[in-house]
Amino acid sequence: MSVSTAEGMAPDGVKETEGREPALAFKIALVILLGILCLVPFLFVLAISVGHKIEGAGWAFGFELTHYKRFLLGATWPETFQILYLQKLGYSLMFAAIGAVIAVALAFPFTYFLTRLTRRGQTVWLVLLLSSLSLSEVFIVMGWDILLSARSGLPALLDWVGFTDLMKDWGWFQWFRDIGLASPRAFKFKTSGLATVLCMSYLVWPYAVILLYPALSRLEPSLMEAARTMGARPSVVMRTVVLPSVKLPLFGSTLLLFVFLLGTYVTVTVFADPSQHTLAVSIYDSVRGSTLNAPFGAAQSVILLITAAVFLFAGQKLSNAGDRA
Amino acid sequence: MRLSKFGFIFMALSGVVLFLPILVVSASALNGGRSMLFPPQDPTLARFGEFFISEPIWRNALKNSVIISLSSAALSVLFAWPAAYFIWKRSTALSRVIAGLMAMPFAVPPIVFGVGLGFMWAFSGGLGTIWAGILSLGALFAALPLVTISIGLQSIDDAHLDAAATMGATEATAFRTIVLPQTIPYTISGFFFAMVLSFNEFIVMFFVSSSAYSTVTLQIFNSLRNGFTPTMAVAAITFIVVSLVVFSLVARFGDLPRLMGADQSRR
Repeated sequence: MSVSTAEGMAPDGVKETEGREPALAFKIALVILLGILCLVPFLFVLAISVGHKIEGAGWAFGFELTHYKRFLLGATWPETFQILYLQKLGYSLMFAAIGAVIAVALAFPFTYFLTRLTRRGQTVWLVLLLSSLSLSEVFIVMGWDILLSARSGLPALLDWVGFTDLMKDWGWFQWFRDIGLASPRAFKFKTSGLATVLCMSYLVWPYAVILLYPALSRLEPSLMEAARTMGARPSVVMRTVVLPSVKLPLFGSTLLLFVFLLGTYVTVTVFADPSQHTLAVSIYDSVRGSTLNAPFGAAQSVILLITAAVFLFAGQKLSNAGDRA
Repeated sequence: MRLSKFGFIFMALSGVVLFLPILVVSASALNGGRSMLFPPQDPTLARFGEFFISEPIWRNALKNSVIISLSSAALSVLFAWPAAYFIWKRSTALSRVIAGLMAMPFAVPPIVFGVGLGFMWAFSGGLGTIWAGILSLGALFAALPLVTISIGLQSIDDAHLDAAATMGATEATAFRTIVLPQTIPYTISGFFFAMVLSFNEFIVMFFVSSSAYSTVTLQIFNSLRNGFTPTMAVAAITFIVVSLVVFSLVARFGDLPRLMGADQSRR
């Protein structure tokens, strides 16, 4: 190691004072830069949400609560009361919650088995998982679009294996039509809530595995082996040893993925019925799309942000309480 | 420990479902016609030529994607390195603020961050410029190298640093001879994570590009109303191959299970 350089010879005191001042200036510069890039955008959303809309796409700073009023009570309140946007928020919450729960429920056993593999096996799976995780939502939607399309996807397959005819013979086909999963002739998954939720949970499933991985890989194998030797069945070991120790990570990952899914855009536009479009789609329409009302788009973003914050905060409280119990 | 039969079947089935959409898209790239049929009709490789060579729309989009993802990943590392180093050196209020700021865009639905960035760049006149896109993604994904570099810094043996200090090394020398060499693999991993994710990023790019230019993912979304075409499937293949290669490299030259938070004591 070559440490006998000139600066290495300098007395300690000199080095300290020389090093501290630029470091502090550098830190402050970094805070300012990151503040502009990571915090100011949210401040803009907040400021514009109470701003004034100018006809034709613009906005001006100001203070009015019309956009929040429109969201919560409808544009024509108090003459009439509209829940259109609250309904959109409801769909956002519903799709995100179901998607996150399914993803974590399916990721949990997978991750458990993954951590039992050899180091090499784990590495191979992690490469595959990360590749799938990073794949853009547009490609994933493309894949499921083909898989669910009437001409070459699941409906065609069901037709081909005779499932469609079987259902018609048994008279159960009408039920599928009633819940919106079939046209008069064949099965139809686009557009449907099922397709939306399916694609959403596929989207975050690899994230769920990656989030659960640290906790499950830290599970002490000797603990489980001890329980097994004492005659506990695998299901009992799972219930009494594994699940209690990963309860919090399970809850935490579900919450994080739920918040992530609140903002899903491409999946909803392609797979959800327009009557079930979520707040994310409405935000897009206001900011960039057909309706062009930037302040209203900002107000909707703030409400989505508050919703996410409320859930994260409540989750934090709950897990703290669970920790103490 | 050996996997049970149930475990094996569950993992295999998960793998099949995981790769089914990707497989179907890849096969669709071979379609001779303009529609995405599976199995592909009169297979051809002509779509690859269209995507990479003959259609300027896709060539430009790919060029933009590459420029933006490489630059924004480099920027993420530049943001993350000093932050990770400060936090590791001494956890002060200021260093916690830095870490908190970098985690912000990650903790909210991405669409809200995109909308905010769109407003900010519109206000400052940067909307629709490539550099605004690079800065935006650089900020969005800075948390990834922050995590990997922090893991790298934590893995440095304090005894080495103490030994260097005893022998009279300054902070700068110790940094150059001990800290830097040991954290380079983690820095590269962080760069790759940020690069692949910004390569695939859609929603934030969508709001900050303002249709002035497009990346591959934006171009695909813009063409959505005319339906998916086999040329887009070529893009999907390209992207999944890039991800597989990059993460294989990370796994080859780094310790992927460790980066993902696996327990170190077990092998």
